[in-house]
Amino acid sequence: MDPLADNPFFVLDLTPACTAIEVERQAAKLLAMLELGLAAAGTHASPLGRRPRTPEKVREAAAALRDPARRAAFEPWATAPAGAAPSAPGAPWPEAFAALTWWR
Amino acid sequence: MTRHFVGFDLGTTNSAAAVFDGEQVTVVRNRQGGVLTPSVVRINAKGVATVGARARGFLDSDPANTHGGFKRLMGTRKGLRFAAAGVERLPEELAAEVLRSLRGDVADQFGFAPTHAVVTVPALFEVPQSHATVKAAKLAGLEHVELLQEPVASALAAGWDRTEAGWWLVYDLGGGTFDVTLLESREGLLRVVGHDGDNFLGGRDVDAALVDWIVRDQGLGLRREDAAHAEALRRLTAAAEEAKIELSRANEAAIALPAALLVDGDAIEVDCVLDRGTAERLALPLIDRSIDRCLALLRAHGLDASALRHVVLVGGPTAMPALRARIAERLGVDPAEGLDPMTLVVRGAALHACAALGSASPGPGASPAPSPSAAARNVLLKFPAMTTDPTPPVLGRCLAKPAPAEVRLERVDGGFTSDWTPVDAEGAFFFLAELQPRRANTFRLEGRDRDGRAVTLEPSTATIVHGVTIGDPPLARTIGVALASGGVRVYFERGAPLPARRTFVHHTVEAALPGAGVALRIPVVQGDFDEAHLCRLVGAIEIDGGALDRTLPSGTPVEVTLSLDRGGNLSAQAYVPAIDEAFESVAHLLVPEATPEVLEKAVAELHERLEALRRDAFRLQLPSMVADVDRAEAELARCRAGTTATRGGDEDAGQKARRDLLELEAAVTALEAARRWPELEGDAREAMVWATSWMSSHGTPAESRLLEDAVAQLEQALAQRNPRLLQLQSRHVRRLGSAAFHRWPGAWGSMFEYAASRVHEATDLRRAAEVVAQGRAAQGRGDRDGVRAATEQLWEMLPSDVRTRARSHRSDVR
Ligand SMILES: Nc1ncnc2c1ncn2[C@@H]1O[C@H](COP(=O)(O)OP(=O)(O)OP(=O)(O)O)[C@@H](O)[C@H]1O
Ligand SMILES: [Mg+2]
Repeated sequence: MDPLADNPFFVLDLTPACTAIEVERQAAKLLAMLELGLAAAGTHASPLGRRPRTPEKVREAAAALRDPARRAAFEPWATAPAGAAPSAPGAPWPEAFAALTWWR
Repeated sequence: MTRHFVGFDLGTTNSAAAVFDGEQVTVVRNRQGGVLTPSVVRINAKGVATVGARARGFLDSDPANTHGGFKRLMGTRKGLRFAAAGVERLPEELAAEVLRSLRGDVADQFGFAPTHAVVTVPALFEVPQSHATVKAAKLAGLEHVELLQEPVASALAAGWDRTEAGWWLVYDLGGGTFDVTLLESREGLLRVVGHDGDNFLGGRDVDAALVDWIVRDQGLGLRREDAAHAEALRRLTAAAEEAKIELSRANEAAIALPAALLVDGDAIEVDCVLDRGTAERLALPLIDRSIDRCLALLRAHGLDASALRHVVLVGGPTAMPALRARIAERLGVDPAEGLDPMTLVVRGAALHACAALGSASPGPGASPAPSPSAAARNVLLKFPAMTTDPTPPVLGRCLAKPAPAEVRLERVDGGFTSDWTPVDAEGAFFFLAELQPRRANTFRLEGRDRDGRAVTLEPSTATIVHGVTIGDPPLARTIGVALASGGVRVYFERGAPLPARRTFVHHTVEAALPGAGVALRIPVVQGDFDEAHLCRLVGAIEIDGGALDRTLPSGTPVEVTLSLDRGGNLSAQAYVPAIDEAFESVAHLLVPEATPEVLEKAVAELHERLEALRRDAFRLQLPSMVADVDRAEAELARCRAGTTATRGGDEDAGQKARRDLLELEAAVTALEAARRWPELEGDAREAMVWATSWMSSHGTPAESRLLEDAVAQLEQALAQRNPRLLQLQSRHVRRLGSAAFHRWPGAWGSMFEYAASRVHEATDLRRAAEVVAQGRAAQGRGDRDGVRAATEQLWEMLPSDVRTRARSHRSDVR
């Protein structure tokens, strides 16, 4: 999970001050919105611009924040202002990694 | 209106059913009045099946027509014979008989036969075993089943009325398996932190130890490897088990066999007395082994026993006073009181049925919904069926137009009413409902139009139980698709929350031809390694040549989707856009048969691998590895004994040995990974250097920070010598490096040159030469997209070599 683009706090639209119950509540709300097909749930803000939000990402984000150690690791990144930077020009081709290791 | 949620515990020895009505869990009584139904099936000459206590009575007197213990054979094609009826039944068919009987008991007591239910499975069940369990449930008439891991079920039931924060262990010692689960309770939320266990430790091992003692004490001369002694040993084991159970209450128990044992033609009377002290002395090493696993689990999470708040005991053998005392002594906590170790799993299953099935449309077991009036508008309502959250979200969306202008949510007891809330442009609305603690709370949804006239909505009620929320259970081992290159495309990382679903596009490495036979094979593997051959093959999508109407050239894209439900039941789909066909025929692998020949071969192979490791350990002067190899050899000796027992005709011992061997194989693989450490370390350092240099020239500040973080974790993995973590972090580092690399204008050019230098290996030389020419032309024009397109095309034409293919479980994709 990319701590910047897909930081669980951004995925769930929460701040590091949130409580454990708020994590559950927000995850339940977003999963419901995604199931209902509501537009607002389809993407989330991040410092690299808006990113797609899927049920898997919401579940993973909630799981990450349930674990105090993992939550702590994501907290510092979540203070970067979401949505501030434009999305990176020429975002890397997603297969590049596979290609590179395949060629190594 | 009360809905009933049903859970089943399908145990090796005993099974049970329970029903949750939103406030109370009731364990269902069977026709004999008991809450435990022995997992035993008898089929008589007429083909009529009997299940439970009555069948169990025949286990001894009529073994040819009575079978138990089939849970251990789930997922195999091992048919069990019923001689009088002349039929053979698969393990899942026998499990279905047990479930059908339990379902009948629910119907007797509650007046409805459930169609939706939760069925529990052991945490370490493999994909084929879970799949067989689902099949059993379907055969028993359940239309919709959710699987739930047994330790999660126990935790839910134990957590139902215990809210203190802290760490706990659920210790589950069953007939043949031991599972321990570490949980944390915080702010009323339960979280599964980790599992450990021993697939070959349980009450049966105690029985076996007692039998060995009797054989020695009475000088019986029985040997497990002798098929002629199997019958005598079976009867002795049954007697030993009875005595053991008696000793949980009494100080002495007689081992008396109703009829003489026939040993090598001699009739031997067995009549001896076992005292509690002796039984405890024999059981203690087994108990200690289980407690060692508990301590190892705590250590793996940086805890020691002093951190524990509760230990919850589950399973028959936990009735032994010596076991309870030993746990209290070594873990320093008294086992939690007031929880019935025999029904905790099934109670949890029923509670989970509410959370998992509660927001689906009410099935039978609910009072009939009032028939919707013609004017009713349909809404989709979403809410958690069970939650710890005192103010959970309730969302909805109106499908029918016109949508009501405003909606309001009201708790039927009148204790809470929301404001009138406007319905938005998408027809959606949202509330936070207020719950009465520890109750089933029913809410009514009301709507009104712009002029304030009431609008009937359908459905108009929602029931939310305030209870325990348990985080999604984490995936025990990484799952992915084996690639022709010998690598693995990871779909779900270990620890990923379930349920999960993911799609990736693969490309075929060879032309797939129409006609007979498998044209395309996509292996699904499970394991924490980057290399496919180190992971277990758990299934495969095989596309039959008969399903193709033409040849699919190499490089054809295939979209593969893997989904896992909460209980780890895997389904896989492949979609081939070129022919617009979807293939769902996942060949679920069967648990392999445990014939003595197969087992002996596996033992021999592992022995060789261990010897190779031992040589390396001496050569590289790694004393700790020598010790590890010694330990593994000792385990292997035990497996060898199990294999010998299989020769004596004990199929169950065979399955046990098979599982032992799998665990051992995993341990040996881990040792081999440790031996490969220098290579892994080299790879990781190379990745670090590569990524850092590209990052310094082409990375963004944000990426650089991420890389620093990843490099720090990679260093930590190096320091801890943790191969799994190292591979994970190397992957992360490479991914970041790759992002920077691709910002370099020359990136595609250099990749193109690399691919072009290997063009002689391409599957289609003529086309490859053309593509190289196109790429060069694009380079000349400074057309970066053209270079990229040519590179991708070339890449698709380059084969993976035969040797690596063979190590990829014969994958046809990359
Ligand atoms: N009072 C007792 N004292 C000691 N052992 C007992 C007692 N009662 C039952 N057992 C043992 O418990 C074992 C069965 O336990 P249990 O019913 O929990 O297993 P299971 O749920 O069927 O198995 P699994 O969970 O492995 O599928 C048997 O080995 C039995 O001998
Ligand atoms: Mg059990």
